[in-house]
Amino acid sequence: MRGSFAGIEMNIWLDGLIRVLLIVGVMTVVVMGLIYIERKVLARFQMRLGPTRTGPVGLLQSVADALKLVAKEDFRPAKADPWVFEFAPYFVFVPIFLMFVAIPFTLGWQIRVLDLGLFYLLAVSSVNIVGWVMAGWSSDNRYAMLGALRAVAQAISYELPLVMSVIAVAMVANSLNLNEIVRDQAVVPNIVWQPLPFFIFFVAMLAELNRPPFDISVGESEMVGGPYVEYSGIRWSMFFLAEYAAMFILSLLVAAVFLGGGAWPFGEELGPLWQLLLTAIKASLVMFVIFWVRATVPRLRIDQLMSFSWKVLLPVAFAQIVVNGLILVYEMPNAATNVLLALTSGAGVVFVGWVINRNINRPRPRPVLLNRAAVAAAAGARSEAAR
Amino acid sequence: MIGILKSMSVTMSTFLRKPVTREYPEMHRELPERDRAFPILLWAAEDNEPFCTGCHACERACPVECMTVLMKDNPNHKSVGGESSRRKIIDKFWIDYARCMRCNICVEVCNFDAIAMNNTWGGHEKSVYDRADLVMDLPQLLSQSRSGELKPWVAP
Repeated sequence: MRGSFAGIEMNIWLDGLIRVLLIVGVMTVVVMGLIYIERKVLARFQMRLGPTRTGPVGLLQSVADALKLVAKEDFRPAKADPWVFEFAPYFVFVPIFLMFVAIPFTLGWQIRVLDLGLFYLLAVSSVNIVGWVMAGWSSDNRYAMLGALRAVAQAISYELPLVMSVIAVAMVANSLNLNEIVRDQAVVPNIVWQPLPFFIFFVAMLAELNRPPFDISVGESEMVGGPYVEYSGIRWSMFFLAEYAAMFILSLLVAAVFLGGGAWPFGEELGPLWQLLLTAIKASLVMFVIFWVRATVPRLRIDQLMSFSWKVLLPVAFAQIVVNGLILVYEMPNAATNVLLALTSGAGVVFVGWVINRNINRPRPRPVLLNRAAVAAAAGARSEAAR
Repeated sequence: MIGILKSMSVTMSTFLRKPVTREYPEMHRELPERDRAFPILLWAAEDNEPFCTGCHACERACPVECMTVLMKDNPNHKSVGGESSRRKIIDKFWIDYARCMRCNICVEVCNFDAIAMNNTWGGHEKSVYDRADLVMDLPQLLSQSRSGELKPWVAP
């Protein structure tokens, strides 16, 4: 069999090897850059400077961290399950890198163009939950176990709104091929017609990534790191790598599915490099908002987290699908369909905002420690009897 | 939701502000004139000798006994043909900066305004590898005042 990479015919194994190396190389460098940028951006949000000592303006901080992590002891607790413990990082790490395959960087250029690209991405993205459970179970540590269970509960709960919101968009774009979805947005990006799925996707994405404010499974102040407690050195760094890689990939996905990827606003005439730049800018914006949310919103409780997913996001996502179906089935002229979609979806965003607002500002019932009226009545009865 | 958006705008405003961090070893904040580092001796430029007459007032007042003072007859006094009006002058002076607790008492008891608290960054950045290096002798104690590094300060 023959494959071709960048127009050059070659052995299919060589082709595959080049693609895999490309993924791993690009992802590692991107993740190291992302960690540095996150630290810098977060520092500015807190009016600090962030890393400045390593290299010019701290640019080599990630390199220093990586070297430190590689050089550290790869420690395993005595009672840990050796095989499961050692393999858990790969189960988190590999699915995330598999997601990279279907991401459209430019129109028509990705590692592999898949007809069911969106479906593939969503299917692969949930496999890493297995890795968390493995890590939590095998660590022989209560925090790890609790953290893993929380992570699983959270990931499964938010998987559904994530998938449903993307389905709503796929209905509008009439395709599951990411390339087609991007091409479809050459004039107006999907976020205009489908703001509600964008909102749901963004929130569910934060939860899937275990980013604040949904980081209860790894929250340092309560779970001391969750499933990663017992990990150190290179294995811990693989978890970390996977986390940031997932953030990068999902940001690219948001850029492609909702913000028009390389197609909007200049269409297909643009060269692939400019399209790549456009995608990168959009993904960076999404990541900036992720950092921004991290710097702002405090961590949720687990009950708030679950009820928000099951009681708000999921019903609203289903409603969006039903409404989309009702609008699209009549095959009205394009403009009317689009306006209707935008109106209903916008109303949905307002509704979700109202629900969140109402719940945040709801008066909290206070625990009643002592029923003062009953106590007073009893005291009165006693004094009556004494008289 | 409105609250979340408000807080997002607050964090954005902090993002756009200038960081408050000062990168200390490269960048020194200006110290106030009455900043209180370790005590040093002052140099009387007009007589070209220290103000200190070695009267032991500071040594006696020092609560942690970090000072050692030795006095001598001033070789530059008018009675022996010099110009100075100081009959006695400091011979040797040691302050153990490792003991000093920067209480300012020596400055307050000095009858000749001959000792002052260092108000330069040089008075703070005194780290050494050996405690013995923190015992300052007379030339070291006088050098900052003599070279004019010390900022003139107003007594409270």
